[in-house]
Amino acid sequence: MKMKKLLALVLAGLMTASMVGCGSEDAGASASSGSSSSDSSSSTSTSSAAADSTEATVTGDGKLVVWTLAADLKQFAERYTEKTGVQVETVVIEPAEYPTKVQTAIMGGEKEPDIIVGEPQMLEDFFDNGFFANLDELGAKDYEGQIVDYVWKVGQDASGVQRAISYQITPAGIYYRRDIAQEVFGTDDPDEIGKKFADYPTILETAKALKAKGYRIFASDSEINYFSGDSAWVVDGALNVSEARFDYMDLVVSLYQNDLTAYANQWSTPWFQAMSGDVPILTAEIQNYEDDSVNVWDAESFAEATADLERTTVFAFGLPSWGVLTMRDNVGETSGKWGVCAGPAYGFGGGTYIGISSLSERKDTAWDFVKFCTLNEETADWWIEASQGDTVSLISALDKHKDDENPIYGGEKLYSFWLEQAKGIDYSKVTKYDKVIGDAWGAAIGAIKTGQATKEEALNTFYDTIQSTYPEIQLNR
Amino acid sequence: MGYAIKKGILYLLLVLLAAMCLLPFLLMLVNATRSGAEISTSFTFIPSSYLKENWQILSDYFDLFLGMRNSLIVAVPATLLGAYFSALTAYGLAMYKFKGNKIIFGAILVFMMIPGQLSLIGFYQLCTKLHLVNSYVPLVLPAIAAPGTVFFLRQYILSSVPPSLVEAARIDGAPELYSFHRIILPLIAPAMATMGIMGFIGNWNSYLLPMIILNKNEKFTLPVMMATLRASLDMVRNQGATYLAVAISVIPILLVFCFFSKYIISSISAGAVKE
Repeated sequence: MKMKKLLALVLAGLMTASMVGCGSEDAGASASSGSSSSDSSSSTSTSSAAADSTEATVTGDGKLVVWTLAADLKQFAERYTEKTGVQVETVVIEPAEYPTKVQTAIMGGEKEPDIIVGEPQMLEDFFDNGFFANLDELGAKDYEGQIVDYVWKVGQDASGVQRAISYQITPAGIYYRRDIAQEVFGTDDPDEIGKKFADYPTILETAKALKAKGYRIFASDSEINYFSGDSAWVVDGALNVSEARFDYMDLVVSLYQNDLTAYANQWSTPWFQAMSGDVPILTAEIQNYEDDSVNVWDAESFAEATADLERTTVFAFGLPSWGVLTMRDNVGETSGKWGVCAGPAYGFGGGTYIGISSLSERKDTAWDFVKFCTLNEETADWWIEASQGDTVSLISALDKHKDDENPIYGGEKLYSFWLEQAKGIDYSKVTKYDKVIGDAWGAAIGAIKTGQATKEEALNTFYDTIQSTYPEIQLNR
Repeated sequence: MGYAIKKGILYLLLVLLAAMCLLPFLLMLVNATRSGAEISTSFTFIPSSYLKENWQILSDYFDLFLGMRNSLIVAVPATLLGAYFSALTAYGLAMYKFKGNKIIFGAILVFMMIPGQLSLIGFYQLCTKLHLVNSYVPLVLPAIAAPGTVFFLRQYILSSVPPSLVEAARIDGAPELYSFHRIILPLIAPAMATMGIMGFIGNWNSYLLPMIILNKNEKFTLPVMMATLRASLDMVRNQGATYLAVAISVIPILLVFCFFSKYIISSISAGAVKE
């Protein structure tokens, strides 16, 4: 019994000893932080409200911290330092984890980042939580109209306050092969070819015409996805499945069921291959849309499985303006044979929006940096050069470059084309529900085209998904 | 004759299994020498000639060796502390009978089941208040409390360390800590090595917490640095560089594995009691 007690004492002693050992460091740290802990706690409690406060305290210590998800901003920051002498520290964070990082930091009261950014689908949550400072108070209103309209709107919160601005526009277009267009349709003029993609029934006709000549219109059937957002998913709190959505669904299903595509998956190996020349037409059995189970990653079994298959050349890809760069890296020998035309509707995808953290203590310097990246014509000129073809959002710069010809796309004047496309985008049709609802809609289409579910079953699953994810949305089945 | 056939089949199967395990590794090494465009358009085991370009891309984004150093600064102490203190706790729970033993063990089991990601924002706030953001302390110190390791080691001690060993030490006048260090630790070295490998891999690859806690480029650990390769429009082009970074970053794991596996084998037969 005595032994037991002794043991217990020893154990307890050990535990306390180890705790003191670990604790001493923390105690020292917290003691030294005692003086500043009061103000940091007050700032955390007001972190959500701070967005609207006007504490634009300038320390003027010539430093700026940028947290970004796009490595592009690193180049911008270096140039800013070059021009102004302000030291910019750029921290690049992987896009998938960026919202977690920013959310944790700002909610935890972190004052370090001065510049934070976001992609369109993240912005609404960021705005609602007050992460982004009010740019109107810093004078953003004066610059209205200098930036392409839809970009300006994306950067506004629900009450119309400017909180972020992007340096790029990302309207979607159809990238097509000029030589095939010439052969099949007798013209390679972007305006004429655009008419072949004017609406969903026409696209189906175009697809059939191309198939008759041995070509395929698209590599995958997801190419028109960027254009399908022609109506808002949620209107006045109710789910809105417009006629165009059903047309889009019908088109995808017929493209798939009538062998009108090459059955590649977007961003898969054969999809990239189709940019540079002919590819085998996969069959639905090889390219399983369900789980990507095709061995498209395995060249030998791929070559074997596709040895007997007919080969074809793909006519078009549907991508936003940054697709210019993707195509450039993958077109190989078909360089110069491409053209870009308008799709069935206006759409856009992605883009990096720059704003100022509501907790930043260097708001004036930060605003200067935002202006430098987005509203400075010289920067825009430099970026067009440095990025080798990214499309900027500053209208005056786009005007200046409107006659630039891009040799990969048969000398087409892409900047004026993208500007036209961007003008047509109606941002009021974008809601924060788009990603989830769009994915559910895509899943429904996938189920119908592969025959896993009838249209009715798939639609019911779709409605059930929406109802369980967003109970607040009204459904009219 | 039949024996030879049996053995042949066995070896064939084992060779197949080994190939299955090693091919992805080989593929990683091969892809580290190929350009992003090549990787996305074809598949092969023949190395290409882009190793230098990939290294160039990699160095443009971050300093790989700095990241390795940072990761080592985090992973080595965290692993050692975790293994030692877990062994201490497990020994106490397994060898001493006292009131509340079961309750403490139960509590440890419960904590094993709570995912750490849940309390991220609170943890970050705590770290800001303690001025520990941008420091490695919040990444290393919490490793001391490793419920999974405690659980594993306790079961191991219960099943393979006879209490009479400690009793004998006590009779000879050994203090408790001394008998733990000189008698128990060598006996449970295989279990500690196993958990040490797990712990090191976990700490080395740990991504979420360092990503949240560290805000300075020069303090980033390797996984956080590597993730920045994906933060670009040139993601497809960076694939080769990503493979290269991964290929280099597994080297320390392999070294640690070789180091620890020696212990796993060598101490299984060490010391026992005559019944």
